[in-house]
Amino acid sequence: MSHYDVIVVGAGAGGGVAAGVLAESGRSVLVLERGVHQGYADERRDHLRNHRLARYGHSTGPALNGHPRVFVDPAGVVQSVRPFDPGYHNNAMAVGGGTLVYGAQAWRFLPQDFRMAQEYGVPAGSSLADWPLTYDDLAPDYERAEWDVGVAGDSVGARRIWPRARDYPLPPVPHCGIAPALAHAADALGWPHLIPPLLINTEPRHGRAACTGCQHCVGFACPVDAKNGTQNTVIPRGLATGRLTLQPGAFVDQIDVTPAGHVRGVRYIDASGQVRHATADVVVVSAGAIETARLLLHSRSAAHPAGLGNRHDQVGRHLQGHYYPRAIALMPEPVYDGVGPGVSIATTRFNHGNDGVIGGGMLANDFIVLPVIFWRGLVPPEVPRWGAANKEFMRRNYRHVAQVMGPVQDIPNPEARVTLDPAVRDRHGMPVVRLSGTTHPETVRTAEFMWRRAHEWLQAAGAVRTWGPPPGLTLSAGQHQAGTCRMGHDPRSSVTDANGRVHGHDNLYIADASLHVTNGGFNPVLTVMALAFRVARAIASR
Amino acid sequence: MVAHDEVTMRLTQVLGDAAAATLRRVLERLIPADDWPDGWQAGCGAYLAQQLDGDLADWVPRYRAGLAALDAEAQLRHQRAFVDLAPDAADALLHDVEHGTVRAEWPIDAAAFFAGAVDHAAEGFYSDPANGGNRGGIAWQMLGFVVTG
Repeated sequence: MSHYDVIVVGAGAGGGVAAGVLAESGRSVLVLERGVHQGYADERRDHLRNHRLARYGHSTGPALNGHPRVFVDPAGVVQSVRPFDPGYHNNAMAVGGGTLVYGAQAWRFLPQDFRMAQEYGVPAGSSLADWPLTYDDLAPDYERAEWDVGVAGDSVGARRIWPRARDYPLPPVPHCGIAPALAHAADALGWPHLIPPLLINTEPRHGRAACTGCQHCVGFACPVDAKNGTQNTVIPRGLATGRLTLQPGAFVDQIDVTPAGHVRGVRYIDASGQVRHATADVVVVSAGAIETARLLLHSRSAAHPAGLGNRHDQVGRHLQGHYYPRAIALMPEPVYDGVGPGVSIATTRFNHGNDGVIGGGMLANDFIVLPVIFWRGLVPPEVPRWGAANKEFMRRNYRHVAQVMGPVQDIPNPEARVTLDPAVRDRHGMPVVRLSGTTHPETVRTAEFMWRRAHEWLQAAGAVRTWGPPPGLTLSAGQHQAGTCRMGHDPRSSVTDANGRVHGHDNLYIADASLHVTNGGFNPVLTVMALAFRVARAIASR
Repeated sequence: MVAHDEVTMRLTQVLGDAAAATLRRVLERLIPADDWPDGWQAGCGAYLAQQLDGDLADWVPRYRAGLAALDAEAQLRHQRAFVDLAPDAADALLHDVEHGTVRAEWPIDAAAFFAGAVDHAAEGFYSDPANGGNRGGIAWQMLGFVVTG
């Protein structure tokens, strides 16, 4: 059996950063990733099987069969779901995880996002809480993520929104499509706006090319490798040290601990189906908010009957994601210019300070919408689904329609949770995830508020008309899944300390969005990366 | 790219003669011809031939049953096969099926079958040609969706 200084479970945004940093700091690191090492060449750019539209599957793992989850819908209906069903709440499983195929929006959370309970109070039934760290505490790690992974952004605009010590390393993407009209409208409304920061090379950097503006950005791997994920930045840097061992196709089903809670290592099933063990001084779990909770819950023993870090029944609770209220507009002139990624204007005007609601969120225009996705989601409800009128709407308006949307800060509900299903097992015999509950109703109120702002923005931009449904109560998790092993000072209401170390276990850490106490009104990946830099530094200084 | 006669042959093998002919007519009505090709001409049949042998294999019995019931519906109302209906009559019948207003014996839910068929037709028309439909990217030309890299 091999022994390492550190084992990292999962090679996504968090695990990739943690592994790379620890290898560069001199540690021997084994990364066990259940997905495979893949890239653009392995992908068919399939419009029906990607991470924007998964009608029949994905371009990454998990495999369609043998990896079900159980989803309990808001009406209490229990069903087994496959990876491409909406109730599965999938995130890409591959080396790089979601960073291989993401839209790469690289937002910092705001100072208020780290103290939501203090800012707003705790609504009845919610587990809303403050983080055990502040924006200022995390700012140096945000900066490191921006520079080490590579963010292109509007430094002038960003300085108006966040206290920042250093500009972005790359210039922003240009305004395109609907952006000039939205900028004009925002100016008229008095809403500050900026070009969204993106983890995309707008210039050649570190031996990789610049973005070519293709139409298949979000949901797909980049054809010229200009999208910066962990798979082409921190992981290769770790591998270059010779101290990082990356093992794709390796599925960890158990963390081995002593009765006192000291972690010895992990059990995993390798790509050939062999059950193996590896030991380490430290184990870092970075499997994403759903699978990380599953692994901790499943690592039960006589001394830890509820799993690891779960003495106070906190693991798997407070599951969050993001509501995405949206408005769709028919514009008088063509607004489709075909230049990807497409998202190029945003406002943070409504992240906080909204009368009568808790929190808020960022609003931005959408990425380029592929034709079949447009047909499924952007045609107005009164246009027939078929026949001459449907075809005519598509033909006349594909280039005239634009969309504004944005992630709303979830108000956590302790009953939105990940548990182990008592009956269904995966192909390895491990109990599968059971997802149940909904977000707190306050999230819906905030989402309704943001939904109105999205319509207002497009109307001010000259829309002939706008449409798009208001949000309803549901479970939010999805690609922005978070919160299931949240940080905190008090073990009774949290799972880890402020450095991601699991309470009650001296050498077990988490580095992914499970740690998020709240999930901000932003795409969370830069926060996942920043926290992973922080967790890795804590481990390196042991 | 798969020739139309080969698509017909493959669909006939999977669904039978009558149902394959009915399916072609359905695709022609779901996405009718204008300045641009109809659903069948653009490759929605080829898309379905590929999918019914793959991810939509569990739809084969549904298509067999639904297309037969559609034909029975046409016989009940007009005493002729669905493929022989004039466009307006075919569309009116499809509109009723869409809303579950049926008179014939349907062994499956008519509205659910129709909704699935509409989804599949659009997937064949608007998704990438590697899925079998959107012949030569014709639907993308219609929209002005150009792939540059």
